[in-house]
Amino acid sequence: MFKNYFKIAIAVLKRRKFFTFISLFGISFTLTVLMVATAFVNKVVSSDYPDLKRDRCLYVNRVEMRNTKEGWYNQSSPSYYLAEHYISTLKVPQKISISSFSRRTNAYVNDKKIFIEYQFTNADYWTVGDFIFLEGKPYTQQQISNAERVAVISESTKKAYFGDVPVAVGKYIEADNVSYRVIGVVKGVSKTMQVYYADLYLPYTVSKTDYKRKSLMGDYKVILLAGTKADVSRMKQEFNAMIAKVPIDNKQYDKMYIHADGAFEDLCRRMVGDGLNSGVFKLVSLVGLVVFLFLLLPTINLVNINITRIMERSSEIGVRKAFGASSRTLVYQFIVENLILTFIGGGIGLIFSILVIYQINALELIPNLDLRLNVSVLLYSLLACLFFGLLSGVYPAWRMSRLNVVRALKS
Amino acid sequence: MFKHLFKLMWNKRKHNFLFLSEILVSFMVIFAISSFLIYYFQNYSKERGLDYEKVWSVSYDESYKTKNSDSLTMYYENLKNVIKALPEVEEVSFSSNNIPYANSISTTSITFKGKSFDGINQYLVGEGYKKVWNMNLEEGRWFTKEDEVAKDRPIVINETLKRDLFGDQSAVGKSTADYEGNKKLKIIGVVQDFKANGDFQPSGRAMFWKVDTAAFRWLNSLLIKVGPKADAAFESRLYKLISNTMKNSSIEITHVSELRISKNEATVMPMIIFSIIAGFLILNVALGLFGVLWYNINKRKGEIGLRRAIGASGSSVSLQLVAESFVLASMSLIVGVFFALQFPLLGVYNVPSAVYLTAILLSVGFIYVLVILCALYPGKQAAAILPAVALHEE
Repeated sequence: MFKNYFKIAIAVLKRRKFFTFISLFGISFTLTVLMVATAFVNKVVSSDYPDLKRDRCLYVNRVEMRNTKEGWYNQSSPSYYLAEHYISTLKVPQKISISSFSRRTNAYVNDKKIFIEYQFTNADYWTVGDFIFLEGKPYTQQQISNAERVAVISESTKKAYFGDVPVAVGKYIEADNVSYRVIGVVKGVSKTMQVYYADLYLPYTVSKTDYKRKSLMGDYKVILLAGTKADVSRMKQEFNAMIAKVPIDNKQYDKMYIHADGAFEDLCRRMVGDGLNSGVFKLVSLVGLVVFLFLLLPTINLVNINITRIMERSSEIGVRKAFGASSRTLVYQFIVENLILTFIGGGIGLIFSILVIYQINALELIPNLDLRLNVSVLLYSLLACLFFGLLSGVYPAWRMSRLNVVRALKS
Repeated sequence: MFKHLFKLMWNKRKHNFLFLSEILVSFMVIFAISSFLIYYFQNYSKERGLDYEKVWSVSYDESYKTKNSDSLTMYYENLKNVIKALPEVEEVSFSSNNIPYANSISTTSITFKGKSFDGINQYLVGEGYKKVWNMNLEEGRWFTKEDEVAKDRPIVINETLKRDLFGDQSAVGKSTADYEGNKKLKIIGVVQDFKANGDFQPSGRAMFWKVDTAAFRWLNSLLIKVGPKADAAFESRLYKLISNTMKNSSIEITHVSELRISKNEATVMPMIIFSIIAGFLILNVALGLFGVLWYNINKRKGEIGLRRAIGASGSSVSLQLVAESFVLASMSLIVGVFFALQFPLLGVYNVPSAVYLTAILLSVGFIYVLVILCALYPGKQAAAILPAVALHEE
């Protein structure tokens, strides 16, 4: 039966080439935009180098204090003190990564200026994140305790600072007017990976600012790694119980919110949420609304064209109805035909999106961003095709099934 | 004739419902895009009000720790003088970190005649600030050394704020009060508007305070206007000099011209992406309209043949079809304009009404042109229908 539908669909497509072109143009363009957007969202949302253990991690990024009477609030990130003095006491996490947010400074090589983003990290940072070391290795706990001036640099920093040398390990890099010995080179991290993106990684003990300052708010971020997936919820409970006991160090405020969030929750909280609300619902509905509005115009257009095409086929429908085909069969047939059309459009869209993604990667609009059409992106695109096909096929099919047999046959 | 056509179309409104909604949504898309474009263009065509070339910004973090505010002032004044003494440097000024084109914003409000004016960008600046940016003074004067001991704190405001407060009258010498309405602020000068958020954003209200001794505890930006001789080698030397003076601080030197480029990109890039997507959507719609109109005309062969047979000319037939699409488009546009007019009426997003009104006119024009273009070819085809053939088929 499907084979028949397929044959009919192809025959219909060949009959009115102009309409076919309009439909395919609309479908493939719409799906191209959707696929590229999906590839981007997928890049941001899913586990990616070097954040591969995402499902076992919880992220602590913000400290929010509120004065519930006056309505003031103050929001910042955790301090090293909070991470070391309170969070490190937790028993469930296997590893606790502590690192500063990226700061920027300059380095000068042969009178050329390079912008360098650098992070201060602890030793666990290198085991929680799965970095690929092209050369050398990370600094050890011993080196951190000794406050040795050693550095791990990214691939692009090596190229920018040392040029095309085979080995950078053992050389010295001068950034922020301090000289550091390079002990490792890592593969570049995508800029979308905010937690791990930097050009230069340094032991926190060489930080120029006073990292021991006894304040809860500071410039650091913490990642908790659980031993197994099952431990994550236990880890969260332990974290919340511990935070509830931390005294607020500022008398202006009476409530404090510090969350250990999963990766997606953390992303939502950073973008639209606050201490009280994680913003997952807000972000998801916002994205849904944008997608809906974007789909509205192509869908109406396609519905319009589909109706026109069906009306053209009214004699065929009349004959089939007269010979006893039920409305349901006709609706199915039309929806299947429309889905076939959508999938052909989807195929063309896929080719276009590969081209667009190749262009985006080549332009390097975002450092180290390497968009890919992987299995999950393809799966989402397939879903988008199905959704779009149904959306634009159901109403015309319904209109068709209500066609009066006598009038249809008369024409 | 239009009344008659309108009646015809109105009777077929259910049949044309999809066509109508398609035009309506297209109108909304065009309206949104053109509002943005007109708004940005309007801002772009205004004067920049500042000179960003050869201005470098140095950011540092808290480095000199002392409780004594005199030695704190000494320390920073000394740093400033050392830099200013360099032959490549023309002017130096301290500044709060919301320097033009940076991603940092600081706003406040003031109370004037019992009314609160908010959303005022406040800049904490040194004496050299005006010269660093080559700002234009409209009236009054800029800050001098004596202002530190004045009883009422002196401020300089920009044109927009002056117009909001005083209209066409002179502002110099008049006073206003801070956000709580307690402290008196004396206006000593008015400067030309400057577009601190990039070339495509409005300058907004702005107000300048002079740096005082207390401010040195949290200030972390220094602006340097360099001369033509300043090159990368000089920058590297300057960097060394500052880092050696501020031993515990992290230093970053940025060229303001680079900040400006990235600030402008933040406005332009999304606009380009949206315009491309909207362009494709509209092309899509145009093709769709064309197809549907074409089909409709084929279906009405009998009717058209009859009209031709009783003496209508080819051009009047094609005119009828174009006019029909025109009427259809008008029906959608009436609804669309009604919604679009709410934007200027409610003053959404603080965008001047003129922007929305121009955008509405532009979008209405665009939709008419689009619909008529799509109807022209099918109309011409209809004119070519031979009455004998059409009536024979019937």
